[in-house]
Amino acid sequence: MDILEYAWLIPVLPLLAFVIVGFLGSKMKDKGGIVSILGVGAGMVIALWSAYELLTTGRIYRDSFEWVILSSDYSLEMGIFLDSVAAMMLIVVSFISFLVVIYSTAYMHDEGPRRHRYFTEICLFVGVMLGLVLANNFFQMFVFWELVGLCSYLLIGFWFERPSAARAAKKAFLVTRVGDVMFMIGLFILFTELHTLNYESVWAALDTADPAMMAFAAFFLFGGAIGKSAQFPLHDWLPDAMEGPTTVSALIHAATMVNAGVYLVARAFPIIATSAEVSLFVGAIGGITAFLAATMALCAPKIKGVLAYSTVSQLGYMILGLGAGAFLWNKGYHVEASIAFGAGLFHLMNHAFFKGQLFLGAGSVIHYVDTEELSRMGGLGKYMKVTSITMLISCLSIAGIPPLSGFWSKDEVLSVTFDAGDAGLTFMVLWVLGVLTAFMTAFYMFRMWFMVFKGQPREGSKQAIEHGHHHEAPIAMLAPLVILAALAFGSGFSLFIGDGFFGAIYYEHAHVLSIGERLEEVFTSPLTYVSIVAAVGGIMLAYYSFYKPKISAEKVVAKGFPKAMHQLLLDRYKFPVAYDKIGYAGLYGFSLLLDKFDRYIIDGIVNGISAFLIRAGGTVRKLQNGFVQSYATLLLFGVSVVLILLYVVGALR
Amino acid sequence: MIPLEFVLIVSSALFAIGAAGVILKKNAIQVLMAIELMLNAANINLVAFSTYFGDAKGQGFALISIGIAAAEVTIGLAILLNLNKLRKTVDVDDINLLRW
Repeated sequence: MDILEYAWLIPVLPLLAFVIVGFLGSKMKDKGGIVSILGVGAGMVIALWSAYELLTTGRIYRDSFEWVILSSDYSLEMGIFLDSVAAMMLIVVSFISFLVVIYSTAYMHDEGPRRHRYFTEICLFVGVMLGLVLANNFFQMFVFWELVGLCSYLLIGFWFERPSAARAAKKAFLVTRVGDVMFMIGLFILFTELHTLNYESVWAALDTADPAMMAFAAFFLFGGAIGKSAQFPLHDWLPDAMEGPTTVSALIHAATMVNAGVYLVARAFPIIATSAEVSLFVGAIGGITAFLAATMALCAPKIKGVLAYSTVSQLGYMILGLGAGAFLWNKGYHVEASIAFGAGLFHLMNHAFFKGQLFLGAGSVIHYVDTEELSRMGGLGKYMKVTSITMLISCLSIAGIPPLSGFWSKDEVLSVTFDAGDAGLTFMVLWVLGVLTAFMTAFYMFRMWFMVFKGQPREGSKQAIEHGHHHEAPIAMLAPLVILAALAFGSGFSLFIGDGFFGAIYYEHAHVLSIGERLEEVFTSPLTYVSIVAAVGGIMLAYYSFYKPKISAEKVVAKGFPKAMHQLLLDRYKFPVAYDKIGYAGLYGFSLLLDKFDRYIIDGIVNGISAFLIRAGGTVRKLQNGFVQSYATLLLFGVSVVLILLYVVGALR
Repeated sequence: MIPLEFVLIVSSALFAIGAAGVILKKNAIQVLMAIELMLNAANINLVAFSTYFGDAKGQGFALISIGIAAAEVTIGLAILLNLNKLRKTVDVDDINLLRW
């Protein structure tokens, strides 16, 4: 049996669960939890099996049918395109979804009947996200892209009676919409230029296409990724999206949906690589995002806030890696470009595991202390052993301490950025930003960890402990934490399985190294030690600021420039204010103008026509004088005229 | 046999007389009679063409037309009777209620 023949079941099974839970979930005792686990789990089994088949054989599986036939030449397909990149995404998405659904059955337990809506929406999300991964063309991807956006909107606004959640949902929807419009423009350009949107046809047609138009297409497609993957300057929706349940943040806003933008960049990689300028732009946006988001994470007051900024920052790393790859490819360094392509996606996979773990761990903490403010936590390590240790592993991993997974991928991204620096000096600057980001990443992750688990219990923790919460979360929550922590520790070792990660996932030029060569390459490079020093430095700074307080964070930000900077960071560089300014002053003003146009010009024309007809009718109706004989006269006269005319023109002869 | 043209001249004259009556007469009963004249002009045409082409369908139509005309006249007279009862007039110049 060829499992890939059944790959279409991967999104269909969770969607089936969506339908069942949607219609019948309210009558079930657990509001659809079990059905969701079964549906998502069955999808996961097929997804993992397919991924295994794809990665071990190196096959590419294609299946499609014509969906929208526009004319005999142009049609849009619905289909499946599975290669190693899709296989990796399948592993990440299906596995984390499955764990999150299990976790949710415990985490959402107190929500009562509302769990019905939650499980329905989660199943829909998992189905369409897997559909996005399977897509064989940009249009199908766009359809699922919009659907995951819808699920994101629904789930951020899960507690819609809170105004802040409703506002955050709306903001996420509208801000990503800006990117979606750019994505659409990119699709239009591609379709008019190449008359196809299938990945493979597009890639094959690039050599003969107009390079200027392809550069525009790449730019606009990347605009879509900027929105979905929360890149600068459309990053501001993601921190607000933390208003949703923590499980949603873990699944959608850390491990899967936000990666869709990176996946789009990977699919559009050949298009982006046709233009050095666009490649540089992609890399620069990634580097700037990584740096800015990391600075904002430094003083974020809420535990999920730290993780949200961290997610934005890490997504920036992935985009930076892919941008550097596209740039290297454009400049002719094909082997390095292939590594960079793999590095970006490698970081995507590792990040999904450790960030998913961190969010679920944060969920466990919030479940315990019932607050999100870091300043109200502290001293929880004693009471939450599993959570604290698993989160420590993920923190070490994201900070980039060898041999945990984050180290391998982050180091690889930084090293390809450094390589790209040979071809374009801008990438040197981006590499410096990347190293600074690595330092800040280590600092803010350990700031969070120390503030939550070490030191004296502050009010939130105290209350929780006094109320007799001496137990951690139930097993359904702890098991996913442990499994994901194991992956956060070990997913980096996929570098050494078989031909290694870069051998399996690559862009045209595989870069196969044996384990020894790989280790030698990593540990003889001075760059590796720069990033390790940055990571350790960050952890040490956090240690001395928040665990053994030799440096008082309060005093540092008490006055002068650091205070102003601190305030600026808390204000998120004034981005929300700027969004509002653009939204209200700019768009609202423009809308008012359109409103006036609509009211006075469009309505004026419509009302004018009707007023004219009413007046004219009032005048003409006087002809109806009620005298039957005048009607008969007119009738006779009219018929005579018609007959005479017909005779004259010859119709009666 | 009488040539077709002669018959058509008669029926046209009859139709013109009827039309003039409908337009000019003030008494509603006279108008009704004028309408009958016009109808019968059409009936003459039907019969004439029927004979000319040797097809009996035209005569059948004429018979139906006469039957319907009879029914229509009863309705017309009934309306006029009621009109006379309510408004004490059958002068068409006095009956101009159906207007703007």
